[in-house]
Amino acid sequence: MPETAPDQPVLEVQNYSMAYDTEAGRVEALKNVSLSVRPGETHAIVGESGSGKTTLAWAIMRYLPDNAHDLNGAILLGGSDLIGMSQVALTDLRGRRVSMVYQDPSSSLNPSMTLGDQVSEVLRRHRGMLPAEARIETEAALKRTGIRDPAAIMKRYPHEASGGEKQRVIIATAFACNPELIIFDEPTTALDILTANQIIELFLKLRDETGVAAIYISHDLGLVSRVADTVSVLYQGEVVEQGDVATVFGAPVHPYTQRLLASLPRPADRLAIDAPNDDAALMTLENVGVCYYAPSLLTRLLEPKTTAVYGARNISFSVKPGELLGVVGESGSGKSTIAKAATGLHPFEGKITFDGKTYENAKAFNREYRRQVQIIFQHPDGSLNPRETIGRILARPLLLYGLVPRVQVADRVAELLEMVLLPREFASRFPHQLSGGQKQRVAIARAFAAEPKLVICDEITASLDVSVQAVMARLLVDLQTRSGAACIFITHDLNLVRQLAHRIVVMRDGAVVESFATENSEQPDRAPYTQDLINAVPVLARPTLPKEIEELLQ
Amino acid sequence: MRKILSSPSGVVGVMLLTVVMSAAAFGPWLAPYDPQLFHAQNRLEGPSIAHWLGTDHYGRDMLSRILNGARSTVLFGLGATALGVCAGSIIGVVAGVEGGRTDSVIMRLLDGMLAMPELLFTLLIVTLLGGGTLQALLAVGVAFTPGMARIARSAVLSVRTREYVLAARARGESRAWIVLREVMPNAIGPIIVEATIRVSFAIMIGATLGFLGLGAQPPSTEWGLMVSEARQFMFRNPWGVIVPGIAIAMTAMGFNLFGDALRDAFDPKRSH
Repeated sequence: MPETAPDQPVLEVQNYSMAYDTEAGRVEALKNVSLSVRPGETHAIVGESGSGKTTLAWAIMRYLPDNAHDLNGAILLGGSDLIGMSQVALTDLRGRRVSMVYQDPSSSLNPSMTLGDQVSEVLRRHRGMLPAEARIETEAALKRTGIRDPAAIMKRYPHEASGGEKQRVIIATAFACNPELIIFDEPTTALDILTANQIIELFLKLRDETGVAAIYISHDLGLVSRVADTVSVLYQGEVVEQGDVATVFGAPVHPYTQRLLASLPRPADRLAIDAPNDDAALMTLENVGVCYYAPSLLTRLLEPKTTAVYGARNISFSVKPGELLGVVGESGSGKSTIAKAATGLHPFEGKITFDGKTYENAKAFNREYRRQVQIIFQHPDGSLNPRETIGRILARPLLLYGLVPRVQVADRVAELLEMVLLPREFASRFPHQLSGGQKQRVAIARAFAAEPKLVICDEITASLDVSVQAVMARLLVDLQTRSGAACIFITHDLNLVRQLAHRIVVMRDGAVVESFATENSEQPDRAPYTQDLINAVPVLARPTLPKEIEELLQ
Repeated sequence: MRKILSSPSGVVGVMLLTVVMSAAAFGPWLAPYDPQLFHAQNRLEGPSIAHWLGTDHYGRDMLSRILNGARSTVLFGLGATALGVCAGSIIGVVAGVEGGRTDSVIMRLLDGMLAMPELLFTLLIVTLLGGGTLQALLAVGVAFTPGMARIARSAVLSVRTREYVLAARARGESRAWIVLREVMPNAIGPIIVEATIRVSFAIMIGATLGFLGLGAQPPSTEWGLMVSEARQFMFRNPWGVIVPGIAIAMTAMGFNLFGDALRDAFDPKRSH
């Protein structure tokens, strides 16, 4: 690090504030933020969506949109202030002294350039290398990231590489010019758990080798505890707590940090209701498969090699009445496909037996089946019709299935709203006037309005913030207790599902790996894949919290 | 509405439309003379105090003719567009909702129709049906159908896979409910916007047909026909061509700007 003395911080943000000009007036996005990162240190910035994490990263890179204004403070890189620096100086600085790794590897690479060219571009631009030199250096850089055959990867285009390989290439680019500071903006959020874990290990290895300073932005506190030395907790644009990771996560002082840490799912804190004693199954899937693409007769004649593409195949499991069954798997494992097949949204093969009746295709599902099997989707923004009021959305299942007389519908809607802890007045509002968590509650209320025997929850907490997730999980268990409905809880969050479920089904590549009772999830005879999944997500120890917070959470 | 008026093009569009619409609504009462009355002494005159916009080759008052013609011109545009939008939307929604083979067959047929320029296609239909206002209106409506069907279909496709539509399907709702209550209200925005912009095209095509003698027939006060009739005397009195020409341009521009502003107002990216 030639431009920074060893004892001096690489980056120092001093009392920095910035605001965006919007139609609603000036909105302050960051308020008096101060932090410093020393050489070799990793500073994490944690917070929920909208807390200003990414804005801070852009502010440090000086990549702000036109409606952004610096209000006060300074951003010092190696002692010189970046605010007010000329465009030319900044362009020279980016990629050479500060580089950035983004969230989604598939959109941060140029699709029409080979991966090798994208890395060597940085070397040629900032280190003045000749093409031949750059190629050799690129190969070496890619090798350091653990890519097995760098020469082959260099010739490929982004669409020919996997998500993990792409993120490795981006990391190689970020480290290419030996920068003083690298900003990681949620680098593993778009990746599967196991790939994410490898990327984290790679980051730790490269950091130790190069001694680079890093800012690591994440909403995943478990991950932060693994990679970071120091942490800033950001809440509505303000740093509410700052310090050593061990200290902040072990004994948080600010109520927001306490709440955030307390709401992390931990398998030890069981939320589930007592497991049902009944052995008879409510729903049984027997060799269920969903075919996404079946070649037509003509295609088969012309190209005999084309085969059908299955989203899931030979899936068999069962749910008991009142039980909560967790279905776990990475993206593409076929878990949502099965949910859609069971609710008649996809044609399927095989047999689904529900409540004593057997159905062999999606058309056989009658209205009574559809009433008793309800589904809740992942995105709260998408699952409510934007042109209908909440009241009408909730009234629809009541009227469709004729559950209550027409005159009592309004009362029942109010009851449903109260059941999911929303005020009665929400009946006259439109979905866009509600927050994400509130919308998801409405979607849950709509599912339970049908008085179902089985509710399928398809990743219902995945797009919500941690603290909202915890509330949603509690609400679901509460509703299950009251209604006695069984539940299939589809998720990729193992810690959460181990809190909630009685039994867990693990899926991979459209097939069931194994199923087991939750209490047996750490036994040594678990499938290796299950063990990998469980080991990939760290469980944060419960912090010591003041009594009143503990009580509040109960 | 406030969003439409916040853009300059929206304001101009609304102003032009107000002028044209009031002419269409009250034209016959505002007109100083009978539009068919000959003033044999004052033929082919430019603007004067007696005749504000001059007179045509029979000495008929241009202002009165323009005011009287506004209604038929605007109605022609609206009628032809309404016809095209209705037919196109039904076809597009059916294709979008059904999907699969029905969709492929309908869309390939429409692609074939789209390959022909709109005006040429209209001319073909008018030749088959014969001249006249109603025939021209029908022709423009039919010519608009494939384009509108494409837009309706794409709007439906973008809504069809939303989770609230999936939720309705999982609930066991009837197909009619899903189309009318869940899909259409959320897909109607782009269709309305496109329709508004198309009114201006319809007016221009209508005027063109009138000019070519295939639309309204004399002594109608249709604006395109007025341009056509005045063309013979263009060098003796250019006002005969300029005045209805400007009227057509104003109406077309009004609808076009209004449609643009409407599109911006509907765009969720701009509304937050």
